[in-house]
Amino acid sequence: MGQTMAEKLLSRHNLAGSAVRAGDILEAKIDGAMCHYHAAEPMHELALQAGFKDGLPRVWDPERVFVLLDHHQPTLSQAQADKNALIRREVERLGIKCFHDAEPGICHQMMADYGLMRPGELVVGNDSHTISYGVLNTGGTGITRADMLYVLLFGELWFQAPQSIKIVLDGRQPEYPISKDIILYLAGKYGDDFAQNMSIEYTGSLVPQLSIDSRMCLAAHGVEVGAKFAMFEFDEKTREFLRGRTSKPYEPVAADPDAQDEKEIRLNVDHMPCVVAKRHQFGNVVPVDEVAGTRINQAQIGSCANGRFEDIEIAARMLKGRKVAKGVRFLISPASQQVYLQCLKAGLIEGLIEAGAQVVTPGCGICQPKVGFLSDGEVCITATTRNFKGRKGSMNAEIYLASPLTVTAAAIAGEIVNPKESLK
Amino acid sequence: MSFDLDRALRGRVWKFGDSIETDAINPYYRYPTMEELKQHTMEAYRPEFPQQVKPGDILVAGRNFGCGSSRPGLVLREVGLAAIVVESVSRLFLRNSIARAMPIFMAPGITSIVNDGETLEVDYPQGTVRNPATGASVAVRKFPPLIERIVASGGLPEFARQRYLAETAR
Repeated sequence: MGQTMAEKLLSRHNLAGSAVRAGDILEAKIDGAMCHYHAAEPMHELALQAGFKDGLPRVWDPERVFVLLDHHQPTLSQAQADKNALIRREVERLGIKCFHDAEPGICHQMMADYGLMRPGELVVGNDSHTISYGVLNTGGTGITRADMLYVLLFGELWFQAPQSIKIVLDGRQPEYPISKDIILYLAGKYGDDFAQNMSIEYTGSLVPQLSIDSRMCLAAHGVEVGAKFAMFEFDEKTREFLRGRTSKPYEPVAADPDAQDEKEIRLNVDHMPCVVAKRHQFGNVVPVDEVAGTRINQAQIGSCANGRFEDIEIAARMLKGRKVAKGVRFLISPASQQVYLQCLKAGLIEGLIEAGAQVVTPGCGICQPKVGFLSDGEVCITATTRNFKGRKGSMNAEIYLASPLTVTAAAIAGEIVNPKESLK
Repeated sequence: MSFDLDRALRGRVWKFGDSIETDAINPYYRYPTMEELKQHTMEAYRPEFPQQVKPGDILVAGRNFGCGSSRPGLVLREVGLAAIVVESVSRLFLRNSIARAMPIFMAPGITSIVNDGETLEVDYPQGTVRNPATGASVAVRKFPPLIERIVASGGLPEFARQRYLAETAR
């Protein structure tokens, strides 16, 4: 019997050297470790708690540890500045080579921008959206800060080999990004934990049509449905994206034809409506028509889910010759400096500002949130990652998740509308 | 600090629903210190929880407990919960609980045998969770040996230090 993509990837990294099957517990060799603003914990605070009196005594391979001060760049408080200063000291002490210190942006986008993960690798990060790396056929997965301490010391970590779920996407890519609709639609139909602990493997005739940006949205949102990995096969688009970003060799991983998937889900996007997630759960999904007419106070595009070029491009395209509705705060935050630059060079930013949007410094701020809080009774529609109760301030605010297309249409109308109407 | 899997527990139940997320458990971006977190954990679902939870209480929840971010749920231990017993747990919350030796138990069917405010008994060595008032019980899932060793060490950082000391002493 053949192996799934995840089984093959983990077998390749299994310290015991044997082939693993779904359900097996293994200790795996790690190719890359991404630490963001929580880096101080594994390097310092948790190390002290565990009894290392001078902090972490070493990192297993200073070339394979990537530290990016996202979330806290630029800092919004002295407490954050103090934490960053501590990380700076620890990075220097431990000899870590790759340190993005003074650059705002989302760590996952920067990992892709700078070619820090490659197909077939096992890369962990102390952030739940590390699963995004599956976009490049990388086994990327979020781990905890305490797990990271172990990884930093030994370059190894325990895993349970996941069962796999194949998501077969068919249909035609329209003239706007639809990944957000796809994952929300699936979460609505199958529940917000339909891939709990599993490895999602995306396939089907739509996939070759999906841009890297679109694939990264689907990969990032793997965690919103519980997944351990959310991977795409390596193809020409992956190769093209990596060209010039990495000079290191890599070996993509693919499922065997006779691999045993636990589940298979099929979706033809031609028949899929535009959808939104209502408060306060990712799986609380309805077609946009059901909430049409809901007045909004704020609209947002950004985050590791939707802060990429195509997400901002569709907003700029829709706003051409139009204005953001009076009183609506439309926040747009590119995922990284590189994405911001790409948007600037394409002339998108000027039009967005003229139309009344606010461009926010690249990073996690509008999603986490650090900026753009909501007051009692306010409504926000957002192409970011999560809509949990109170996530943007008031417990009595409502957050709708939607695609950049649906968000922009709402920003223009001042209320939720079916965006396909505004495209005409 | 280490949690003893071999010890049976008994406590009053706080019952929550499905997909309770880490923003509710650990809203650290609004309440950055542990002292503040203790005053606000779980208030998104039960505003009275932070004030009324007592040491030794047990949190029961539905499926997908701890979904969302990779934030740990240490605050739940800090407010005194003796155990968390759930239908299912999100992957990262489980990793966190193992790595920080937090007493979390997966017991499918748990939400149908106990109500809020009732007493629950957790007996991991026996592999059962039981409502003593009704006698109803469900099985608790056993952890693999490696995971039990990590928990017995007091968590993954402590486990890591033991390994590091053993390797560097050679």
